[in-house]
Amino acid sequence: MSIDLLWGIISAYATLHLIALGHSVFEKSGLLNLAIDGVFFLSTGVAVFVACSTGSPLVGSFASAVVASGIGLLLAYVMTVLPISHGAVGLSMMFIGYGLGIIFGYPVRMFVGGIATYAYTISAETYVTLLAATLLVSIVLHFLLKETKLGIMIVACGENPAVATALGVDVLKTRLLAAAIGFALIGFGSSLFPLLWQRYWDIRSYTLGLGWLAFTVALVAGRHPLVLIPVSLLFGGLYHSCILLTATLRIPVDVAKSIPFIAALAAMIIYSKTRIGKALLPPTSLGKVFYREERAI
Amino acid sequence: MGAYSSPIISVRNISKSFPGGIKALYKVSLDVYPGEVLALLGENGSGKSTLIKILYGMYVPDEGKILINGREVKISAPRDAIKHGIVLISQIPQLIDNFTGAENILLSLREAGSFTTRKAFLERVKKITSELGIGVDLDLKVHTLTYTQRQLVEVIKAILLDARVLLVDEALTYLPESGRKEFYKFMLDFKSKGNSIILVTHKISEALEVADRLAILRRGVLVDVLSRNDATPEKVRLLMFGVGVNSAHSMVEERGEPAHSGKEVITVKELVVSGDYGEESVRGVTFNVRAGEVIGITGLTGNGQRELVESIMGLRKVLRGKIYIDGFDVTNKGSSTARSMGVGFIPDTPLRYGVALDMSILENTALVLSRNTLLLDLNAVKKTTLKIINDYNIATKNDEVPVKLLSGGNLMKVVIGRELEYAKKALVAYNPTRNLDEYTSSVVRKQIVRKAREEGLAVLYVSEDLDEVMQVSSTVYVMSSGILHGPFETRTVEKSVLEKFMVM
Amino acid sequence: MKFIILKRKKPLKGGKPIISLYSIVLGVILFSLILQATSKNFLDVLRVILMSFTSPSIVLDVLALTMLGYALLLSFKAATWNIGAEGQFFVAMIPLIYLLIVKYPEFPLPGLMVALATLLAGIMGASWAMLAGLIKAHTGVNEVPITLILNYVAYYIVNYLVYYPFRGRHVYGYTRTDELPKHYTLNVYLKLSSPTPESSPLYPVLRWAYDITYQLTYYVYWLVVAIATALVVWFILSKTTLGLRLRALGHNPDFLLASGINVKKYYVIALAASGFFVGITSAMYLLSYAKRLSYPIEAQTAGYGYLAILVAWLSLLELKYIPVMAYVVGALRNAGIALQITGLGGIEQSLLIIGTVLFSYSILSFLSEYEIKVMK
Repeated sequence: MSIDLLWGIISAYATLHLIALGHSVFEKSGLLNLAIDGVFFLSTGVAVFVACSTGSPLVGSFASAVVASGIGLLLAYVMTVLPISHGAVGLSMMFIGYGLGIIFGYPVRMFVGGIATYAYTISAETYVTLLAATLLVSIVLHFLLKETKLGIMIVACGENPAVATALGVDVLKTRLLAAAIGFALIGFGSSLFPLLWQRYWDIRSYTLGLGWLAFTVALVAGRHPLVLIPVSLLFGGLYHSCILLTATLRIPVDVAKSIPFIAALAAMIIYSKTRIGKALLPPTSLGKVFYREERAI
Repeated sequence: MGAYSSPIISVRNISKSFPGGIKALYKVSLDVYPGEVLALLGENGSGKSTLIKILYGMYVPDEGKILINGREVKISAPRDAIKHGIVLISQIPQLIDNFTGAENILLSLREAGSFTTRKAFLERVKKITSELGIGVDLDLKVHTLTYTQRQLVEVIKAILLDARVLLVDEALTYLPESGRKEFYKFMLDFKSKGNSIILVTHKISEALEVADRLAILRRGVLVDVLSRNDATPEKVRLLMFGVGVNSAHSMVEERGEPAHSGKEVITVKELVVSGDYGEESVRGVTFNVRAGEVIGITGLTGNGQRELVESIMGLRKVLRGKIYIDGFDVTNKGSSTARSMGVGFIPDTPLRYGVALDMSILENTALVLSRNTLLLDLNAVKKTTLKIINDYNIATKNDEVPVKLLSGGNLMKVVIGRELEYAKKALVAYNPTRNLDEYTSSVVRKQIVRKAREEGLAVLYVSEDLDEVMQVSSTVYVMSSGILHGPFETRTVEKSVLEKFMVM
Repeated sequence: MKFIILKRKKPLKGGKPIISLYSIVLGVILFSLILQATSKNFLDVLRVILMSFTSPSIVLDVLALTMLGYALLLSFKAATWNIGAEGQFFVAMIPLIYLLIVKYPEFPLPGLMVALATLLAGIMGASWAMLAGLIKAHTGVNEVPITLILNYVAYYIVNYLVYYPFRGRHVYGYTRTDELPKHYTLNVYLKLSSPTPESSPLYPVLRWAYDITYQLTYYVYWLVVAIATALVVWFILSKTTLGLRLRALGHNPDFLLASGINVKKYYVIALAASGFFVGITSAMYLLSYAKRLSYPIEAQTAGYGYLAILVAWLSLLELKYIPVMAYVVGALRNAGIALQITGLGGIEQSLLIIGTVLFSYSILSFLSEYEIKVMK
């Protein structure tokens, strides 16, 4: 295996993994995230815009993290305080994300053209640091969610926010925190797509559906920070290799590009049919509207 | 006892109303003194639960204030209440099923910082519970615990939270005798430390047993507060209901004759069904219901009745065993099979399994009655719907109003009327009269028994109300921990025998 | 100062349509504010949006969005969110292109062939939607990501077909299919000469009226089919037990199950029925307007599948409001194009405004059932 392929797979894995990890933390608090693909694309736009303006890809990544975090906070707030549909507001944010991403990225595309010079340097140091960082974040989050009170609070909000409230948990504050952390990871991870992995940005990137791939990865891995590692690696590797497959196997580009998505659907089916799925269930109250003064019969 | 010391908690002029013009509380003022048990008595809809929810921060009052040790406080969420030393123990334990008892308590404890680890906390809490001599394993997931054990976790939580005022909301009703005695002991101990308890109940006997004072609410208004010495059952009853009410049910002979000659319609053989968390809720149940007879199953909530009923109606998977309807094997064949054979279903959760709230009475009825037609002929169903509205005195002018606008009792009547129309071979009824007034309950019971006797309907009547089950059934079983005890002939069996099986 | 959200005691004045109205207004304002930040003047944006409401080029959008709106209504009423109309739209074109362009460009009875191809388009759309339904029924996964992922797969499948087997023999330099033979197209051409000279002040108004009428006659076949679709969908939803069950599925699937209906089967039916009418719309689109497909699909799609979601939601899932909202959303889309944000003419323009309007709607919709009270 050539070194380029290895770097490519690590980039793909890191990108997908951070997005799926952030998404998982958010959803563990009981909030359905259908905005993921829009926030992904918006973050890529912000990343290239800031990276090209400041000359530093790292600043670009942090800018994406901040912007995404802001959106996450907004979503968590409205979804917890107002009795509205998680799905509808999430989808609306997906479209807004696409639109804003185009607005951020278009000037870059027009006036800068290729962004490769503003991307992260290709070196073993970069990739190894990234690999270590993603693994570390996963381990820390796993420990946090499972063993500490804060993590238990987040999971409690996802299991049963009404009971959590009765137990004295501030569901709003907890979800805002989960959103800030989760979406920051989504933003940072998404920034790696143009700045590390593809080294390229195009308006049409919003049609790639990478966010939905991350959504499926999180679903199939049960939103578990450690189980996410192999699943992200699998799908990231698959996605990255697909284009290469067109050259080696001489299959049409479009067929190759559809493979990760067909694999995603297959993974959903396998997840639901086997015992693995039974052990990695979604949060009990995921997507449920949280309204405190209920009518009782 | 602190009759002359200052109150530990007070409410002044608390009012609360709900959508639909329901005035749950009107200018209620009350004091609770240190070291006493105050019973809050009232019938359904008197506002006692609402007042407790306000004290615990789950509702916000329209007007009025809450005072703790004389100072006004704002309680807008349960964590505020906990901060002031107010802890709630409800009828349904407010615990997260997928977590352990210790994790649930950790969530409530304000002193425990965000980064307290689960393991460290478990150690700490285990030490405390062994010192207190309370025997429940806090390292087990709550869904594996029995009802009594869950309430024990609630008690431990209250102790660890340094509760000063304990709100007990009908939490004693479903505790078996042994558990109740333990709870009383705990309450006395709690009181002796200068803390107070507000005990919400609708059972006069319970209040008279433990309370120092009794506050009676009727239709949202505080009628009177009696001291234990002044309170007699008749006085209290008068204050609760306004008129002297005969407490016993009118034991009208409504039950049917055991019909040994009818053929078997519902047959259940060694049925094993799992609950929501994988534990076995129904553990090998066998019985049958013949045409024309009413078989009753009674028992305390949570002993497998829900899972049994749901599996018969095809709403829950059966692990082992068989269910036959009219000789036909319907095990795990889905709800359409059972229903298509003419089985009626009165669920105990009508909001879930009984109606679509936003659709009209007419449409809700048509959904069940017009099963086999392609085109919808609402006119045909209209006649039936109007008949149902008339027969059961449903408080509405027309059948096109959305069901959600009806009160709980009227909604239930829609379901019952429809299902009794639909049931041709059998009827499965689970707590059918729970939300109905006395008169309608009696009408419904009579209708069910009549349908059995005259039309040969096989009825499975499952209810937590022992008296009611004994009224309507010819044969009764007691369900306890997933096992059926019986059959018992209602004509000959002693009620105390059944009660004994209920708390096993 | 504290805000409490309580269930409404009295119904909202003006009812739910007021919420749609406010959502559109709020969405447009948000959109304009965002564009102001990119140095497009707020008032200019508003002016362009208002002008789009009278543009004759709306007719196409209204027809497409009305039919798609009714198609989505069938599944949305069952609370089954068919976000895959975009993919179903293009997949449905496969039988059309194959039969009418590739295999049988000549046929003795063109009308019969067109009708057959249209029917197959409907069936193809239904099948693609049904695939999503089957996956949902068997895995229990939310249909939104499933239908969305199938959109991507659909793009790739159709792209591949256009690139290879369906590639036109008569086009050079571009990758696209041949054009639909004239005898298969469904258009009527209106030819009128102007009664007044161009210099007359009356001319612009007459010109505008002529343009609108020209568009309506051009698409008259489509108009008839659209009206028929509306009637059929109305009939299904209010006069059949199928419709009653779909609606019950949307309100309370547990009750539907308890009444003895196989709920999973109905998820599949809801999506399949929806997909069928998406397919018919797709046929009309190809036969009356596009007449060919280019590669790649993502570059030329108007995003009707996504815009229709907005139409269905803003119509509060009520049949009578669908054409109204189709008109509004069509106008917003045209405004997006007129604003030339990125110099592109595809769906990119509409994305942001779809988002802001939908966002406003999802936030405001709770006000129909709940009210906000201020407490001190």
